[in-house]
Amino acid sequence: MAAPARYYDGKVALAREVAVRPAGHELLILDAADSSVVARWPASELVVLGDTGHEKAPPIARRGEEARLVVEDAELRRQLAQVLPPLAALALPRPAALPRIALFGATLAAALGLFWLAVDLGSDYAAPYVPYDLQRHLGESVAEGLVGEQTLCKGRAGLAAINGLAQRLAKAAGYPHPVTVRIVKGGPLNAFTLPGGVLVFYSDLIDFARDGDELAGVLAHEIGHVAHYHAIKGLARQFGVEQLLKSMTGGFSDLGTVGAGGSLLLALQNGRAYERDADATAVALLEKLGLRADGVSRFFERLLEKQPMDAAAAIGIWSSHPPTADRIAATRRPPTGAPAFSEAEWAALRSVCGPKDPPRPPARPAPKPSAPLPPTNRL
Amino acid sequence: MSDIRPWGQPGTAQPAATPLDLTPSRPVYDGKLSELYGIYLRHLTLMVLTLGWSRFWGRTRLRRYLWNHVSILGDRFEYSGRGIELMIGFVLVLVVLGVWAGLMWLVWEFVFQAHAIPGFGFLNLFYLSIVFIGIPLAFVGQYAGMRYRLSRTRWRGIRCGMVGSAWTYGGLATLLTMANAVTAQLLTPFVSVNLARPRISHTFFGTQRFDFAGNAGDVYGRFLGYYFINIAVWIVAIGIAVTAVIVGGMQLGFTGEEVQRLFTTPSLRTVLLLIAAAVVLYIVFGLMILPLRCWWQAYLLRYLVARTRAGNVLFASAISTRQMWGFLVLNYLIVVLTLGLGWPWVMHRTLRLIARALWIYGAPQGEAIGQPPQRAPRFGEGLLDMFDVTGF
Repeated sequence: MAAPARYYDGKVALAREVAVRPAGHELLILDAADSSVVARWPASELVVLGDTGHEKAPPIARRGEEARLVVEDAELRRQLAQVLPPLAALALPRPAALPRIALFGATLAAALGLFWLAVDLGSDYAAPYVPYDLQRHLGESVAEGLVGEQTLCKGRAGLAAINGLAQRLAKAAGYPHPVTVRIVKGGPLNAFTLPGGVLVFYSDLIDFARDGDELAGVLAHEIGHVAHYHAIKGLARQFGVEQLLKSMTGGFSDLGTVGAGGSLLLALQNGRAYERDADATAVALLEKLGLRADGVSRFFERLLEKQPMDAAAAIGIWSSHPPTADRIAATRRPPTGAPAFSEAEWAALRSVCGPKDPPRPPARPAPKPSAPLPPTNRL
Repeated sequence: MSDIRPWGQPGTAQPAATPLDLTPSRPVYDGKLSELYGIYLRHLTLMVLTLGWSRFWGRTRLRRYLWNHVSILGDRFEYSGRGIELMIGFVLVLVVLGVWAGLMWLVWEFVFQAHAIPGFGFLNLFYLSIVFIGIPLAFVGQYAGMRYRLSRTRWRGIRCGMVGSAWTYGGLATLLTMANAVTAQLLTPFVSVNLARPRISHTFFGTQRFDFAGNAGDVYGRFLGYYFINIAVWIVAIGIAVTAVIVGGMQLGFTGEEVQRLFTTPSLRTVLLLIAAAVVLYIVFGLMILPLRCWWQAYLLRYLVARTRAGNVLFASAISTRQMWGFLVLNYLIVVLTLGLGWPWVMHRTLRLIARALWIYGAPQGEAIGQPPQRAPRFGEGLLDMFDVTGF
């Protein structure tokens, strides 16, 4: 058998039309025109570079040499593979594309599903076991980034009052670490929880609260987030989703933008379940301590009056807050129990950012639409 | 291109005895999209399972497929890179970045700690420094990546190669890009031609060097035309968009107060309207500005290719504005709209485009071209991988 193949000697850039002939324990490469011997390659030193799955015509080489033999003719490749065992790879059938696509497509879908499940369960069950010091460190650095340039309120008595109640609530919830409440001067009308029991309240929220029980309701809600480790869970989930997208897109940078939108939606979706949990925990904690638990629903009610065009209700997925009317209904409690703050404590809290003149705050402009969600649980 | 002339430079003239062989040919690409997808989906699956660490091997497999399915003058390319080389390159860059972070930490500790700036933490300093070194490093990585790929490419058994310092190229590219930025992009032809020159003239096929004889002056006329038409088109496009928004808003019966409320408390209607407006804007801008850009890019590419030569082999590109549109705009849309799943399709399209639009005149004088004397780099394109300049 002798059919043309191409031989490159590895020294100069010439293609030579050759015939190949297996002879005993070697492969004879003969010039196609005059049948002179071009090269004799011992069978034991033959190698196939590449495979039929990736190379249309995998080159043949003598081990360690730069010369190449390329056999374009599939039939000749098959014959060579039969006669010379080191060339067996030449005869492997080219993998059929469609079954491969189906197989790997299905495997990919399954792998993505498993990965998502791992992120989902992992963030829920494993994230609370992140060492507390690390959680705390994360929380502090995020707080630094979010409110680092704003003024912190320093009123000692007010801070002592709110931190004292926060500790009692956290203890009642079985949270084994200390929590810290920080009060930032100004708005928006909001409060949020960071990993490691770091709470941030804006003073606008304290101004907006009509009495200590409303503020205690919000505080209990935030402690609910703390007790359920929502902040670290949310961070873990976001990190997992990012890893998933990164591994899938192969680091194609423009896809990052699309991916960020996706993970934001997932975070928000998740956020709404977290808010309901925190609401339920809030009233349960207040009742456990024998405190008035109607502050939560009263606060939400007045918030709804203030912001009737609730974007979350209008669009449904826009915000991490569930529609506020639902939350009011779910947290409504009778006005019984002890007040959460004493008269003196409440007065100290109202002036925590400096002296206040009127007992009732003046009407404020509508709060800004909320910024893209940071990895935290807002009010 | 109709204006291809034989090269008339002194000293490079052909011996009088041999007539100039200018037989035209084009590369042939015989890959199949379905096969490419088979390889790509396997790669993606492994990426998910290994958290992305299999990408070096996956990329290598894709390259092997693409290289071997392209042939020039009947001879296929061979890609001989290995995944582990890419991974080592990546790890090396990780180490370098780690050292850099250490240095920045020292700077932070001894310089900034003393006069702390509120809201400016160590991470801010590190990211800022990365932005500063990232732009030059991306160019360095681009060059080093090209060198790696060329050194792993064989044709007719002969390796390709690249000489010159990636750092010199990185410095030059950074300087030119910055100069272009401060002159409102008016230096674009100068920058393009002067960055193409080192890339092309440092490239070798074996011992055969590529030559580039471009001159920014040749393309400046067209560029200035493009530049000012582009400005005019922007003005017109913005005019159309603003008119559309105002007229559209009045048609839909928005009052001034509603417009004011629109931005403070968005409702579903507002959001949908804004999305619609964004789509309209995108289409208006896309239809008017991108074709112009494609026209210029196609012209520039034709010029650069036509001024390139490898010994007695001449090149020309027939790429049209429409083909450039397919390459720049459609490919981008394919990748983004398919969330990356269209990537093999884009590679397939690109190679088919090259096979269609690249013309090669003549054949290399093979007996005079040997293996390249330069030593090939041992590891692959780590910087390229790190700074996300995706290529294949």
